[in-house]
Amino acid sequence: MKATESENNIQLSEPVCDFRYLIDIVNGKTYLISGIMDVFLKQVPEDIQCINEAITNTDYKTIKSYTHTMKSSVSIMGISILMPVLMEMENLGIAETDIEKIKQLNLKLKVICVQAIDEIKKEKLNYNHAILKKTINKNSKS
Amino acid sequence: MNNKNQINIFIVEDNKVFTLAMKADIETAFPKMLIKIHSFETGEKCMEKFMQVMPEIVILDYHLNSKYPEAADGIKVLDWIKKANYKTEVIMLTRDDNIDIALKSFKHGALDYIVKTETKFRKINYSLFNFFKIMEARRETKIYKFIVIAICLFVAIVVGIATAIQIFSPSLLK
Repeated sequence: MKATESENNIQLSEPVCDFRYLIDIVNGKTYLISGIMDVFLKQVPEDIQCINEAITNTDYKTIKSYTHTMKSSVSIMGISILMPVLMEMENLGIAETDIEKIKQLNLKLKVICVQAIDEIKKEKLNYNHAILKKTINKNSKS
Repeated sequence: MNNKNQINIFIVEDNKVFTLAMKADIETAFPKMLIKIHSFETGEKCMEKFMQVMPEIVILDYHLNSKYPEAADGIKVLDWIKKANYKTEVIMLTRDDNIDIALKSFKHGALDYIVKTETKFRKINYSLFNFFKIMEARRETKIYKFIVIAICLFVAIVVGIATAIQIFSPSLLK
């Protein structure tokens, strides 16, 4: 998923993900963190694609459904910056109004998601290294 | 392997990231318990497996129609579950802090109603912990019931034998 020129106008200077919550709920188990990240990396681009299609078709019901379900995913990854964006999109979806505002919010959503995906991919690499190290250590011991 | 002491938990939730995190959190919170977690994206898929597994508890999301617009909502699925087995307890989950949905859930037989706030997983674990305590208490009650019945039967047999002896050969008791 790549950001377009208009999306690039929205600048993000700080990291958007906070993995402390995820690490806490799985008690720091690297394989679980990596697994949850995998599902996130697969699910979120699909959700964004569905929201894009729904905006094109002015399908408020689908916009509402997907923004609602995305709130759960982003909360796990600690992307708190996205919560007000998703909430506003969901509320506009419920009210079935202001598609232009939804389009604007969607641009913000995409930019933040692109950065979040990037951060998660980098973080996941660290966990993959940790898992690999553990496996090598285990094998060398046995 | 299907152990007699195994507790089957169904998670019905249409968000895979959330399901996976919840599954990991429950398994981390109760490491010594024999728990098997089955997850489903809709109530319809859950009911296909329900009669076969007969789960002790179901963690059920209220909104289940994000990917499947025709999917039944949580209250409808709660009714199906209670109809199939009233003993299966249901924890209702939702992101809306809506008193009407909460009241409706309890009215339809939910054990608990949890709003997906930041402390959601803690609340779920607390609710599960209480449920496990109830299960343990029920199991102990069953054992005590069995012991009391056994003692009553034993006393009845002894009294019966003594009465029979008194009637048919009273000389034995002298």
